[in-house]
This record gives sequence, structure tokens and C-alpha cells, in this order.
Amino acid sequence: MANIFPRWSNLLPLKIAVCAGTAAAGVALAFSYYATPKTLTVGYQPSQPIPFSHKIHVDQLGLDCRYCHSFVDVAGHSNVPTGNTCWNCHQHVQRESPKLAPLHKSMNPTYPGYDGKPIEWVRVHKAPDFVYFDHSAHVNRGVSCQSCHGDVNKMEVVYQAQPHSMAWCLDCHRAPENHLRPLEEVYNFGYDAATYLSSNPQLGVKTTEQLGLKLKEQFKVNPKTSCATCHH
Amino acid sequence: MSKRIWQHPEVPADETTVAWRSAGQLQDTPAFREWLDREFPQGAAEMADEADLETSRRSFMKLMGASTALAGFGMAACRRPESYIVPYTKAPEWVIPGKATYYASAMPRAHGATPLVVTTFEGRPTKLAPNHLHPDASGTDAFAQASVLDLYSPSRSRKVLNAAKPAKRADLNAAIAALAADKSAKIGFLFGADDSPTRKRLTQELAAKFSAAKFYQYEALTAESAIGDGVKLVADFSKADRILSLDCDFAGTDPQGPVTPFFDRRKPEGKAYAAKPDASKMNRLYTVEAAFSLTGGMADHRLRISPSQVAAVAAQLARELGVAVAGSSAITDAKHLEWIKAMAVDLKANAGKSVVLAGSRQSAAVQQLALAINQALGNIGEGKPLLVLQSEVVGLGSLATLKADIDSIAVETLVVLTPSNPIYDAPADLKFAESFAKLKTSIHLSDRTDATAHASTWHIPAAHYLESWSDARTARGAYTVVQPMILPLYQDCVSEFELLLALLSNDGKLLNGEGEKGAPSPAYTAVRKTFVALGGEGDVPWKKLLRDGFLAGSNYPAATPSSREITIAPVNAPTANALEVIFATDASVYDGRWIDNAWLQEAPDPISKITWDNAALIAPKTAKALGIYDEVVETEPVSSVLGLEGKYGKVGPDGEGENRKQRMITVTINGETLEIPVVISFGQAENTLVIPLGYGQAFDKDDELGRTPANQSHVGLVGVNRGFNAYPLRTAATAYFASGATVSLIKGKTYLLALTQEHSAMYGRALAREISTIKSDLDEKGDFKKQLANVAKQGNDSHAPPNVYLYKPETSATWDPGKDGKAQPLINDPLHQWGMSIDLSSCMGCTACMVACQAENNIPIVGKEQVAKGREMHWIRMDRYYATQKDNTFDSDNPAMVPQPVACVHCESAPCETVCPVNATVHTEDGLNAMAYNRCIGTRYCANNCPYKARRFNFFDYNKRNPLIAHNLYKGPLGEKSVGDPDHLQKNPNVTVRMRGVMEKCTYCVQRLKDAVIRQKRGQKQEVLVAGKPSTEMEVTTQTLRIPVDSVKVACQEACPADAITFGNLLDEEKSALGRSKHIERNYDLLNYIGTRPRTSYLARVKNPNPDMPDAPFIGKATIHMV
Repeated sequence: MANIFPRWSNLLPLKIAVCAGTAAAGVALAFSYYATPKTLTVGYQPSQPIPFSHKIHVDQLGLDCRYCHSFVDVAGHSNVPTGNTCWNCHQHVQRESPKLAPLHKSMNPTYPGYDGKPIEWVRVHKAPDFVYFDHSAHVNRGVSCQSCHGDVNKMEVVYQAQPHSMAWCLDCHRAPENHLRPLEEVYNFGYDAATYLSSNPQLGVKTTEQLGLKLKEQFKVNPKTSCATCHH
Repeated sequence: MSKRIWQHPEVPADETTVAWRSAGQLQDTPAFREWLDREFPQGAAEMADEADLETSRRSFMKLMGASTALAGFGMAACRRPESYIVPYTKAPEWVIPGKATYYASAMPRAHGATPLVVTTFEGRPTKLAPNHLHPDASGTDAFAQASVLDLYSPSRSRKVLNAAKPAKRADLNAAIAALAADKSAKIGFLFGADDSPTRKRLTQELAAKFSAAKFYQYEALTAESAIGDGVKLVADFSKADRILSLDCDFAGTDPQGPVTPFFDRRKPEGKAYAAKPDASKMNRLYTVEAAFSLTGGMADHRLRISPSQVAAVAAQLARELGVAVAGSSAITDAKHLEWIKAMAVDLKANAGKSVVLAGSRQSAAVQQLALAINQALGNIGEGKPLLVLQSEVVGLGSLATLKADIDSIAVETLVVLTPSNPIYDAPADLKFAESFAKLKTSIHLSDRTDATAHASTWHIPAAHYLESWSDARTARGAYTVVQPMILPLYQDCVSEFELLLALLSNDGKLLNGEGEKGAPSPAYTAVRKTFVALGGEGDVPWKKLLRDGFLAGSNYPAATPSSREITIAPVNAPTANALEVIFATDASVYDGRWIDNAWLQEAPDPISKITWDNAALIAPKTAKALGIYDEVVETEPVSSVLGLEGKYGKVGPDGEGENRKQRMITVTINGETLEIPVVISFGQAENTLVIPLGYGQAFDKDDELGRTPANQSHVGLVGVNRGFNAYPLRTAATAYFASGATVSLIKGKTYLLALTQEHSAMYGRALAREISTIKSDLDEKGDFKKQLANVAKQGNDSHAPPNVYLYKPETSATWDPGKDGKAQPLINDPLHQWGMSIDLSSCMGCTACMVACQAENNIPIVGKEQVAKGREMHWIRMDRYYATQKDNTFDSDNPAMVPQPVACVHCESAPCETVCPVNATVHTEDGLNAMAYNRCIGTRYCANNCPYKARRFNFFDYNKRNPLIAHNLYKGPLGEKSVGDPDHLQKNPNVTVRMRGVMEKCTYCVQRLKDAVIRQKRGQKQEVLVAGKPSTEMEVTTQTLRIPVDSVKVACQEACPADAITFGNLLDEEKSALGRSKHIERNYDLLNYIGTRPRTSYLARVKNPNPDMPDAPFIGKATIHMV
């Protein structure tokens, strides 16, 4: 009786096992790399009901972050401006721009489609429900908006610039000196540590690393890394 | 299989104290052994009985397989869902998203409003706390804490009813308008017993408008004043050195004035532990009562006697003090006589500094007698411990006069505004329901669709006090504002004043909520108008009132009590054949009005530890005399399968808790009978039977006893099938107690009672410690000073070796320096190290802390069946022990009752942390034993390793699946979801809502700690701004970053009316009350000898007995050993 399986098939199970193993390892690697906030959430850039440009408002007009996000330094939650905040200016400025239709709808009683309902902004940065992040604890201690939200002043449409994963949070909690600024510079998107140093020689600090360490020591910044710091 | 069990040392042979939790333990029943041995009872972790019926393991696998397969189709959902941020259009003043705003308000109550501070998040009230600025501030009780849940109750009345059927609001408006137009209407108003100046003013206006108007007052368990219309006695406990309570639960359900000062004087070191211990600064409490009340548990000397005999005790005391009493009552028991005489001497010696309080539900003669005794002792007046005040609740008729007026057609239309439920809770012989039916029109305003709502022509859903403008007076009469926190949740909800104002208006238009076009509610205008007369015109005093919550210096004026000759006739003591039944105020439902409040239902009764039901309580000797004791105690049915003998012989098939059913008895009294389960109660007077009122309001098809479904629309899921209604047994003459009852055991009839008294039973020596201020000749414990010094050496701590810190401290042999060669202290935050102390000397065991914790920390209720299995979720539990002396020759059946609240004690060397396989429970830098819910995989190793049994496990998704729907929990994904129920609006947004399968426990309210610490850090920036110099030149010190001393309060501490819980930063040392409490001699660690180094410590309970009393040698020795 002839052999059913030719000779070359002897190695077939091994080949299949090796290929399948490689493929599985590849999938696992790809998953562990791509299925993380670093790839999944960085760059998330939904379109908003009004194409609000931070670039125009912050970079060109020089509005401070706190003009709109007015409670960022007193509350855990950084508020999105009320309709009134926008309307204060835009009832005079660019009033007829078609892009502002949702604002008129919400704020302008003489507008045909006026319903007085608030604008539904699409959330870009979302911490999970079990994370209790507090903005005021950070911005009042020398951590800039820029450190977590990126160069918002350059963004036509806001996107997520940093992964906001737990590991990313811990990187800074373990070494806050890399991100600390003098309190006056927290909302300054044009801040550059080297420039700051050269214009403040009285600090007696040579490098930007030293500046971070000096601020950490001076502000007694001692971020915690235990679970209850953020989860309760 | 084998679990290594720590062998707690035996109690030494010369120990004279015998301690126990329950009759089962005293008898050492197998079921109690089971509770003690295990974290949860055997089988509690498996899906048993119901599960087998509803979801078998096989069907569960099928289901899960199918859902996994289906999940593949749903891969599209892997995309991040779009969520929205919706800001206000116009920002309301004061609202900062994510931050709590606090407002002063008050909860109106019959004995004086409870001043409150309400926490709101974006306008949503979530938590109540006492207003400590208020002169009558006295903490909060469980009722006040739980009242916020009523606002969000799913069963809350929402719609107008006409003859118990849903009706149109327009028809109601028309009816009100017609009534307002008829100025000659024979209209009656039935108010509650609380005092409100605006109501008083509106009453006068109503009387002026409606010439035939009549006004009445009724609350089921609030008796009329016996010393003059609207005259009340209010005690100032800070001035009372000696207190006698004649059946008066002034610390619990029968308040007689702000009670916190009483508890301050239970601490030998004084308030906030500011002074050296001094026994002479303590007060002394004598209590004469039938069954243990919270007050009785605190007593230094307690005489147990049936309520009918209290009058005789009062008369005897009066005679001793030279007060004239007619009648021939006499004390026949020589021991009692000796007790009373010794007490009389003590009261006399402290004349002018003592106070005698009579229970408000005792007879008028006893009230009069108590007044006469106080007058004879010179206790009344300015600067004395007792004030006689004239309240504004005057000129109101009683329920009996109302009935007479209805019958004589003097009243044709009745407006029912009382929080009680007269159709259900009026005395049975009054037959009030019959007269009520004769009314032409009845308008009922209530937040419950109770029996009265169904009997009325119109039922109007009432606005909660957190939704309405009102005002109230506290115990001493301080004018207190009731502010709304939110518009009524449902648009038809009307407040009492809005209804009265509609009747007063010319057009009779019923305006509620925001009124018209956003104008304030008419009630606002009315309250402001009342205030102008008291506090002056203008915005300044009004805004001060809104901020502080009260108007300073607005107390009731002093009054002259009316007294008359008092006759106390002798009353026969009850016997086993003619028992005395006490109709008790219930600690969970009060008079029945809170039957739909799930937090109160699940909070165990402080004395009997019954949840979700009521039961008859009986003393063990009486039960023996009736021949029912053995059956009542041996509650476990014999295994039907094997009939095994021995350790587990009498536990049900799998030893589950739910097989522990109570026997039922028939009680016959006043010609009525009631079938009710019976429970043994210790320290109760012989031949008495205590039956709490307020239960048995409605039944449905799921009732365990198969009672006929009735009144299902009266209550919600919480209140249906709850307990047994004792109101039909109660007559006007026997509103408080009735004699001549007979009792017989019903053969073979049992009822499941969810009793928590054996749950979380701990082993251990000297768990709760007690000392006495006097020296006893019976033992070698010595005087007060010596006993104080020995507190820390009680139990095993006298000879156990000192604890070795397992976490490698610098001095130990195992010390392992870090890379830098310096010590690495594990708990290393130099700013805050949190700690707590619990003072057993002032804790009375009232469960306010349990409910406060539930409100603050989003703790779900689990329902009766789950409680019976020991799965209740309370983070802080209230253990209650009894202890007596073996050689007690005065009354061996009158044990001491010792409550002990236990929550996670935050061990520095925590046994739970070392066994968690996933590091879900870890220590924080500031000394908290933290729980990371998202890491927890539910092995429950930690709970098994916790010697304090402080950990709670979510066996089901209690938050999403309503545990009160029959079998709902066991249906898994098929069960009914309760997402979006109104009670979810109560949740604290700063605390994670836990899901199924995770462990949880006390966190020391970490969300409050974080909030306080972050707020303090913010101050750094403030300093830069103020100093006007660059931040790089600013100096940040420990003081900049450490929160001010005693500035943060945890929820249980805040709620406590007794100030028994002290919390703070250990690094504040002697500056803080906590630091001081940790350094006094009464401080000890629970289970110190097992070396867990807990952060919560306890302060031993101190009894201050009178050495001349016959029972003095047996007082102050209730140190609890559980072995």
C-alpha cells in the first residue's frame, strides 16, 4: 500500500506550529502595542458643533486659558465655558458668521431657531469614571496645561496630544521635576525653560533639569503614587 | 481545607463578666458557632436554592456562550463612544461644576427641627450634616441622615389622586379654587406636631378668612403636653450633674432637648479631651424603663420595670423628696425601694443640678409628677438644667376632637397635612376611618400614597423639605429656616405652605415650585414676610439667616407650667398570664412613615438588631415561664435530609443563614389578636412584650407567610411585606402600653427574620472595655485612677509581648536600607497621617453613623434575604454586646448593653494587604488602607484574613439590579435593571459606584481627605498673589501644605450626635482632639495583641455609679471577651 502522506509532510505539523505560534505572537505584540491609549486615544480629534479654534483665540488674540475654563484653578473639573461666555464677545464680534449658528440657537432669542438649550461639545479628553483627577491640584502647584494637553494654542481643532494612560500619569508623578514651572508660567504656552533661566539669572540655576528640581524642592512637591491618590 | 485559625487565649477563670451578643450565643447554638468561625456562613458564597430554580449552572453557561458569540457582532462598539460636555447657557451663581455647595437648612420635626447643612452637587442634594453653628445643634440621628433618600424615593407620590385614582391637575386646581372661594366652608386643618412660625401666621390668616375653620394637630406617637397647652420642658444637659429618666428615651426616639452636651459629660476628660480625667465632671444617669432603649444602654444605674409601674416609682421618689402625691401606690420590692431611696439621696444632694425626665408617652400624672419633683429640687429656671418654654403650637384640637367635629358636621372639609397616617395609625377604638369617610371633601398632602391618601377625596403629592421654602423652630425655639435645594423633582409636588397660600388667595390659584414665569414660590414670600417680623427688614438679616440657618436670640419665652394635684393609683404588676404589651416607637420606621426608606429598613434596630421587619421582644425568664423559651432560641430546623447530630446537626441542609427562622406567637389584647415572630430580648422587664409599631402596611403575592395581598399601591418595593401591624391592638387609652395580654406559640409557624446580631461576630479578648469611677470591694480592680491605668492592660494585653513591626523599621534586625542607605519608612507622608478614635463612653449605638456612611459612600442596600445571609454592605457596623456579672445579686437579668461601632481600622500592618494576589488593597503614604476597586478580582482572601471582619463583598450588582424585586439578583443578565431610578441621583459623584465581584470597606472618607488636602495646596498660589513676589522666591513650609487642625470631618464623625468619633491628622499631636484622645489612658487598640497596629483606636467606656446604690458593685465591669 502506498504511503498516503508523502515524505515532505513529516515536517508539516512542526511548520504549522511554528507559523501559528509566530502569528499568535505577532497578534499579541500588535495588540499590546496598538491597543493602548498611546495609539488608540492620542490624536482623537472629533469635530465640534462650532469649529472653535484655540489657535485664533489663544495664539492670535492672547486669551488666557482661564477666561473660558474659569474654574480650572479652583475645582477638580475644568469647566467648558457657558454659552454666556462665548456670547459676551460674539454678540458683537463675528456675529453673522454661519459657524456660530449653534451659539445663536442657544443664546440669541431673536434668532429664528432659538431654543435656549446649551451647546453639546464633544468630549475630547476623558478620564475613566473611577479616576478622580483634580485640575486645581496640578495647575496651582506648577504643572502647566500644556504638559497634559499639548500645544492647544496651536490647534485649529482640539485633539488629544498625550495618552493620558495610568503609566503616563505615573511617569510624571514619579519625576515631577520634568514638568514643573514657576506658578506664573503655568498658563503660558510660550514658556521655554531655557529662556526663563536666561532671563532669571538670580535663581542661580544652570540647567533646565536643575530648575525642575529646584522648584520641586521649593514647592515641596511630593506627588503620591498610591492607588487612593486617584482612585476612591 | 484547613484554615489556620488564630487561637485566642482562654478567658481567665477568675473573670466575673459574662458577655454575649444573642440568645443563640448564650445558649451556644451551632448556628452561632458557624457565624463566629466563618467570614460568611457556609454556602453563602454559592448560588443555592433560588439560583437552582432560576438559573442553573448549565443554563448560565449556555447564556454566556451565546453572549460571547454575539459579542463578535458588536466589535463595531470598540470605537470610543462619543460623549458630550454640556455647559450651562447662563452660569448660575455659586455653582462650580464638580464642587459641592453647602446650604443651611433644617428638617422639621415634632420635638424641634434638626438644623442641617446640605451638600449639593450642581443643585442636587446628596448628603445631610448637622449645622454646628446652630445653638441647638445636636448631631443628626438616623432618621435625619436617611431623609435625603426620601427625596429620591422611587415610590414617592408624584401624581394627584382623586378617590385613589389618578386625576388631572386642572381638576384639583378647580377644587382648590372652589374651596378658597367659599368663606363659610366648614373646613378643618390637621397639622403635624412640629412648630413653624409661618404656619402659625398662616393659621391666623386662615382663621380670619374662613369663619368656621378649625385646627387640629396629630402625630401618632407624639403625646400632648400634660403641663399646659404648648408648654414644653427642655433639658440643658450641660448643666445636669444627675439625670433620672423615667421611661424617657431622650437620647433616641424621645428627645427632650439637644443631647450632645449630655454625651460631652460622659467623657471624664470633657469635650474634645481637653482636660485631665475627672470623675466629678461626669454626669450620672439613672434610668427606669421596661426594655432597653438607647438611653437605658447609657445608664449608670438602670431599673427594669414594666411601664405601668413607672408611675409608682415616680410617686415613691416624690415622697422621698417631700412632694405631695395622693393615691396609695407603693413599691413592694425591697430591692427596688432601696434603689429608689439611694437615688433620692443623690438627687437631693445635687438639687438644682439634676433633672428628672418623664417619657413623653407616659401618662399625664407621671409628667406632672416629674415636673413637681423638678420644682421641689429647684431644677427649673434660667441657668438651671431644665427650662419650661412656651412653644407656638397652641390652640390645636386633638384627633379625638376632630372625630367629634366630623361626626357633628362641624367639619365637612378636612385638609390633612400631618406626616402621620391617621387612617392607618390612629388608635383602633377611635374608629377614625369611619368618621373620615363621612367628610364631604378631604385633601391629603403627603409624599407617600399611604392609607390616608387612598381614603381621601384628593391626594396631592407633597414637596420634600429639601424642595420647599419653610421655617421651623428647634428644641429651644430658635427660628430656623428651611431652604429648598432643588425644585420639586415632579411638577405636581406641592409644599404645605403653597397649599395653604392657595386657600388664602382670592382666586384660589395653586402655585407650586417656581410659580409662574420663574417667579419664586409663593411660600418664599410668605416665609420672608414671617421673618421680617422677627429679624427685621432688608436683605442683610435675611441673607444672614440663609447663611447661618437660624436667627440668633429667637428662643421660646419661658412659661409657667400648669400643675395640679397628682394621684397615683396602684397598678397590678403584669404576670405571665396577663402580660403588658408596649407599643414601641420603631428605630427604623418611627411611626410607620419611613416604611419606604431603604436605608432605615436595612439599618439594624440598635437594640434587637432586626432589619426589614418588626418582632415581639420578650425577656428570657418570661419566655421560660410561658414555656416557649426553648423553641424560641432553638431556631434552626433539624436537617431534613440526614438528621445529623453534633456540631452542625441542627443547622439546615447546608448551614445557610436563611434557614434561621423565628417562631411565631399569637398575642391577644384589647380583644384583638396578632400573629408575630418572637425574639428574646435581654434586660427587658419580666412579663412585658415589646411590639414596635409602623409595619405591616401592605402585602403582595411574594409575602413569605402568604398573607392576603392588600394595599399594594400604598408602598413601594421597600415597604411591601414588611413586618406586622400592631396598630389594631392599640386603643386611645392604651396608646403606649396595654395590660392583660396573653401569648401562645403557634406550632410549626416560623418567619424569616434578618437579624444581624450574630453577623461579623469577632473573636477576641477585651474587645470593648469598661471601667468604673468607683472602687469595688468585690474585686481587685482598684479605684478610678488604677482602673484607668489598667485599660490598656485589659484582656490579653497584660501579658502579651510587645508587637514587632513587620515592615522593617530602622531598629529591627530585618531593616533593609534603600539605595541611599537611609531608612525607607513605608508610611512616609510628612504632612498627614490619618487616625481615628471611637469613644465607647459616649457611643450609644444609634446607627446614625451607619446611615451617614451609606449616604456619603454610595453603599447599596441588599434587601432582607441578602442581609439574612450576612451580606449587608454597611462599611461601619454597630456591634451590640450584653454583659453581666456572675455574682450579680441585685438583678442578674439586667445586663449592661455595650455598643461598639466597628469599621476598617486601617491597620499599619494590615493582614488583608499581604494576601491580596493582585495588590488591589495597598497602603497609602498617609496611612490609609486603600482599596483599588478596578484591580480587585474578588478572591475575598482579604476578607478572610481580616480579624475585624470589616470588609464587605459585592456578591451581586446591587446598584444595577434592584435586590428588592423577588429573585431579581439571581437572574443575572436577565434580571431587571434599575439604572436611571431616581435614587441614583443621590449618589456622591466623588465616590466610585462599585460593581459586582469587588471588595469594599471603609476608606476614612478618602474623597473628603483628598478634597481638604488639595484645597490646602491651592492656598500656595493664593500666598504668591497676596505677597506679590515671584513664586520662585516663595517659601513653602509644612504649615502651608498641612490642613488646619481638626478641619476635616469624616461622614460618621460628622453625623454622630454623641461626638463619639474623633478623626484627624496624627501629626497634629496634642493640638488636635484626635492627638489628645490617642494619648489618654482610656485609649486602646482593638485586638492589639495580634499586632496589626490599627489607626482606629477605641476609648474605654466609663460608668459613673453611685457607690451607695445597691447595684453599684456590678456596674462598670462590662469588658467584652468573645472566645
